[in-house]
Amino acid sequence: MSLEDIIQETKTFYCLDCGKCTGLCPVSRYNPAYSPRVMLENALFGFQDDLTYNHDLFSCLTCYACSSKCPGDVDYPLFIQKARALALDAGQHGDCAHSGTVQSLARLMSNPGVSQNRLEWLSDGLRISTQSDTMFFVGCAPYFEHIFDFDSGAIDAVKASLKILNHCGIEPVVLPNERCCGHDMLWTGDVETFRRLAEHNAAIIKEAGVKKIIFSCPEGYRTFKEDYPKYVDIDCELQHISEFLADRIAENGLDFSEVKRKVTYHDPCRLGRHLGIYEQPRKVIAALPGIELVEMEHNKEESLCCGTSAFVNCDSCSKQIRVDRLLEAKATGADTLITSCPKCQIHFRCAMTNKGEEKGPDVEIEVMDLVNLVANALGDGHNE
Amino acid sequence: MSDAVLVIGGGIAGIQASLDLADMGKHVYLVEKSPSIGGRMAQLDKTFPTNDCSICILAPKMADCYDHSNTTILTYSEVKEITGSAGDFTVTVLKKARYVDAKKCTGCGECTEKCPAKAPDLFNMGLGTRKAAYLYFLQAVPRVALIDQEYCIRMTKGLTKDGKPRCGVCKDVCQAGAIDFDQQDEEITLNVGAIIIATGFDPYDPTSLTEYGYRRYKNVVTAMEYERLICASGPTGGHLKRLSADDRDPKTIAFIQCVGSRDLHHNKYCASVCCMHSTKEAILANEHDPEIHSYIFYIDIRASGKGFQDYVARAKKEYNVTYIRSRVAEIAQDAGENPVIWYEDTNSRQVKSMTVDLVVLATCMVPRTDAVGLAAITHTALDEYKFFQTSPLAPVDTTIPGIFACGYCQGPMDIPESVAQASAAAARAAEIVS
Amino acid sequence: MSEVRIGVFVCHCGSNIGGWLDVPEVAEYARSLPNVVFAQDNLYTCSEAGLSQIKNGIKEHNLNRVIVASCTPRTHEPLFKRVCQESGLNPSLFEFVNIREQCSWVHMQQREAATQKAKDLIRAGAAKASLLEPQEDIYVDVEPRALIIGGGIAGLTTALTIANVGFDVKLVEKEKELGGLLRHLYKLYPSNEEAAAVITPRIEAVRNHPRIEVFNDSTVRDVRGFVGNYDVIIASDGKEETIKTGVIIVATGAEELKPQGLYSYDGQKVITQMELEQLLADGNVSATKVAMILCAGARIPERTYCSRTCCMTAIKNAVLIKKQSPEAQVYILYRDLQTYGTEYEEYLRMSKEMGIRYIKYSLSNPPTVSDGGVKVYHELLGRELNLETDLVVLATPLVPHSDAKELAKKLKVPLEQNKFFLEAHVKLRPLDFATDGIYLCGCASWPTDVEQTIAQALGAASRALIPLTKGQVKVEPIVSSVDQDKCIGCGICEYLCPYKAIAVFPTDKGDRASTIVASCKGCGVCSSHCPMMAITMQNFNDDQITAQIAALAAV
Repeated sequence: MSLEDIIQETKTFYCLDCGKCTGLCPVSRYNPAYSPRVMLENALFGFQDDLTYNHDLFSCLTCYACSSKCPGDVDYPLFIQKARALALDAGQHGDCAHSGTVQSLARLMSNPGVSQNRLEWLSDGLRISTQSDTMFFVGCAPYFEHIFDFDSGAIDAVKASLKILNHCGIEPVVLPNERCCGHDMLWTGDVETFRRLAEHNAAIIKEAGVKKIIFSCPEGYRTFKEDYPKYVDIDCELQHISEFLADRIAENGLDFSEVKRKVTYHDPCRLGRHLGIYEQPRKVIAALPGIELVEMEHNKEESLCCGTSAFVNCDSCSKQIRVDRLLEAKATGADTLITSCPKCQIHFRCAMTNKGEEKGPDVEIEVMDLVNLVANALGDGHNE
Repeated sequence: MSDAVLVIGGGIAGIQASLDLADMGKHVYLVEKSPSIGGRMAQLDKTFPTNDCSICILAPKMADCYDHSNTTILTYSEVKEITGSAGDFTVTVLKKARYVDAKKCTGCGECTEKCPAKAPDLFNMGLGTRKAAYLYFLQAVPRVALIDQEYCIRMTKGLTKDGKPRCGVCKDVCQAGAIDFDQQDEEITLNVGAIIIATGFDPYDPTSLTEYGYRRYKNVVTAMEYERLICASGPTGGHLKRLSADDRDPKTIAFIQCVGSRDLHHNKYCASVCCMHSTKEAILANEHDPEIHSYIFYIDIRASGKGFQDYVARAKKEYNVTYIRSRVAEIAQDAGENPVIWYEDTNSRQVKSMTVDLVVLATCMVPRTDAVGLAAITHTALDEYKFFQTSPLAPVDTTIPGIFACGYCQGPMDIPESVAQASAAAARAAEIVS
Repeated sequence: MSEVRIGVFVCHCGSNIGGWLDVPEVAEYARSLPNVVFAQDNLYTCSEAGLSQIKNGIKEHNLNRVIVASCTPRTHEPLFKRVCQESGLNPSLFEFVNIREQCSWVHMQQREAATQKAKDLIRAGAAKASLLEPQEDIYVDVEPRALIIGGGIAGLTTALTIANVGFDVKLVEKEKELGGLLRHLYKLYPSNEEAAAVITPRIEAVRNHPRIEVFNDSTVRDVRGFVGNYDVIIASDGKEETIKTGVIIVATGAEELKPQGLYSYDGQKVITQMELEQLLADGNVSATKVAMILCAGARIPERTYCSRTCCMTAIKNAVLIKKQSPEAQVYILYRDLQTYGTEYEEYLRMSKEMGIRYIKYSLSNPPTVSDGGVKVYHELLGRELNLETDLVVLATPLVPHSDAKELAKKLKVPLEQNKFFLEAHVKLRPLDFATDGIYLCGCASWPTDVEQTIAQALGAASRALIPLTKGQVKVEPIVSSVDQDKCIGCGICEYLCPYKAIAVFPTDKGDRASTIVASCKGCGVCSSHCPMMAITMQNFNDDQITAQIAALAAV
């Protein structure tokens, strides 16, 4: 794909040079050298090297804060995604966080010969099957358990999701040879690896014969919903677990025990601005008796990003974005910050591990995935 | 065949079209939805680029139009049906009950003074309240009061246990005996040869631009609200102050351009007048208080009319107005209820924030909500933005012969352009009814 | 005359006056003046409420003089005079005191001084009002004919409209052919319709209209008379002809600035938009690397205005180049894009989609043109761009014709500072001149696009049709009158009168001056120069003005 192709596909030419994107960009607030507008304008005038050899090309969080409000409707995150592929061709790949482990794992998984021990986490109380019409997509949570030196909470969210599904009478298919959805590969420009992962997943899902896939990870959900159709056929209904829950609650209600918490909800970019799902998680929270939901200053369409995406260019700027978001959560008076994305949870928890640094003020708030909140309220606290 | 003309909409365009035709000896029926003629121009404080007081230059035209021997002004009325064709249209007009006898009312204001029921003051853009028995605004033409049946105690609350009405103060105090609770809506049939549509615009509601915090933050107002705030006959008597409880006089004001305009998510087009009205509003702020510093956030300054460039230059030089090229990204608020503006200064390519005392949103202007209904009644086509469709070479001709459109209902334009178009529509109508 | 009873109405004009001086105090003071029997302040004297207060005042206090102290007679005097008349008071017994433009607006931050000045002016006004005398309105018949100067799209449109309503039209065009600027254009934005296809049928319609007579190759030599009765002398082919007309419409248009000395303009590799139009029309554009520089010669200190039409002209021509040769690279170098409204903004988007690229430059750092290239600092990108070009097109502003000044002088209408014609009121009377019976439209007034020009032309027709259809117009009775006993027939007044409204005629007492009432504008030149003090201005006579001055001087 040439730069001109990218301009055409993302409608970069509609740019009004108005700066709304840059003014809204969470990165630009802390990294004055970074301007989405200037990136686009450089592209329009054919300065390809100023994009591909620009370290900040990998700083974009692809959070859609810009494009969701862009008066010219330029798809900047898509522009970044495509421009990163150009950069990768030129040998540029940004700074991979956590020693590149996440990226390496994804590339490993794209090798069809690799076998995984993926279901080690599955404990006795949780029921899966091979016959169900419904599949639960686990994602990278089993790996996250071993990558981070703090409790990422990722696998707990997976367990909580299964508990919820079981509670609702569903024993879903969970595939032992599932692969990374490829989200991070796609968004860092490695289209080839992404394609291989997608093809593999599509093949095993077809083989499993399921009709519906439920996700607790919004990245996987978005990738299946928006990106897979360009590469593979997935002939299934797709649903995020917050949508599933909201439907269930609306249909016949669920019995919840009282939850004595004051919570605030953080919209993950993939679920919120990427897919427009704002109300379902809130409806789920509101259905819990005794709970109080308070909104942060930036919520829904205006929600702030957790500060990193695709595990690249995680730097002091990311840390500040994260700390600011936690401070915003704290300012609501809530005792718990609820999110519905394992990555958001990881990034927030990570930010609270290295306290006392000069990078930001200490901030402490409990961060919890929506599914954990719900699963706990379903009784016999699996996770509390 | 009829040589009379129907004008729909009593703003400056409708008034000018009526006056031209009436002066040519044609009988004009002017139908206005609200209780008074005057339209949007009556709500403005002053006009660019001369800073003429808007109502001051409009009022003589309103009076001329109303007093003209060749005009019939039907206010508080709506066109319901139109049949026929050019030269011979039959029009049904619904004249809504005012509950006040227009022939008897002297406009003395006694009923308003004593009326116990309050209603939002729509003329003042909902800033403040008025009474249920009211005069639409101070300079209303005709100067006839009316009773708002949605808020009138007598009309909403029913009878007391012993079968008596719960209120009737207005009727008791009216010395002219003009209050008439039994007044009914009236249908009037008119025969006209030509029709001129001049229904104007509505300001775009900026609530959907959630990033600007309109309604969430008290000190973020729209330009139309600001016009009322700074106007001597407005809700604050022309005292420019913040809407937060602190009541403070603003010293820094930010004017945000293109709010819902030039935006594919809202309205694609340029509303054409906001660069200039914001410049005017900033100048007026500084005239009210020379300590006020204004900032106008823009993409392109559209100042191509007569004297506009010099007006902008004067704003910079003499009235403490700074122009910043940027479409504002976000408006937050600090602990003192001061709006905090986040933006990229595109000239220096830096993201900056600025704390101001007051934000004024130059919202887009959109066709009146009832344009769609009127298009159906008149069988005229609307363009993709719901403005009445005309063509560049026949700028006041709608898609139906004998029906013309002028002013903002036909596309974005300023007052002189509306006036010129109104005369143009009058000429086209005159060609038919001559 | 019986006892003088003056009523004074002092207007707050919202805060325009009331915000800057003490209006109730002024009204209170007015009450103390000689002959003043009633005084009050109103929030808006011109509102229905204010007007009914005047009517009530006249009735209840038996007023025989009315003073309104408010904004300006320019917009409001006719209204207040009408109200007096409706209450049975001769409108000449009305006196206007301007306390907005002469007090509040010029002494904004000096409350006390402004208040005092308002009192002084009202005292003087009352002194004059005491001496006012009733005058009778003067009516004159209107010659049922319109004369239009300029045969471009504006003049043609106006001519057709007036003729269609049923009046004779004389159309004067200084060039050999009708059509004006549009004859030199290729296609029109936003429809991309051929200019010729627009203008030719209109020219044909005018030529074939039984009520329209066209004078090609003709100029206006002189204009005499007044509303309803103008004599316009036309010069064509060395011959002169006088046309009697009721109204005159100025539709003389404007012309493209030739950018001599700007951006290496040479008419070959650096050309204007209009020169480009010709090349496009001839299919002669071979350039594939084009830069267009906007605001060439506009929005600069010596020509501050924005010419409104050049942005869209440039964008349209850029689109046409791209349509002819899609591989062409076209850059538009702009300062502020004027794509106002619905269609132009859409056109801009379409041009961007076609690959036309926009570069913002600033006045302080303008582009430089050299052979084969343009160097420009793109302000918003923060870097200098070196554009390779084989054609540079300058978008230059429309400027008034050089003969506009002369025509304005003949018509006795004003020009604004850029030498465009100046209308009666920029907001509410855009198509009228302050002089009754003369109207304007199109680029003669200001650069306008074709759509707006047509709207204005139709509008000017409407304005002109008012006196034509009425058949009679009222003339203000503020005119001069000559005391035949004092006059010595010296002729100074006739020589000086700018309106040819006073002349010396033989009488049985010898030569004596006499006013041609309908032509007189009441300017007072004759009266102030008469060596015998024989000429009096009605309503501005020596006694009245002396009283006014004396009152001002009295403390």
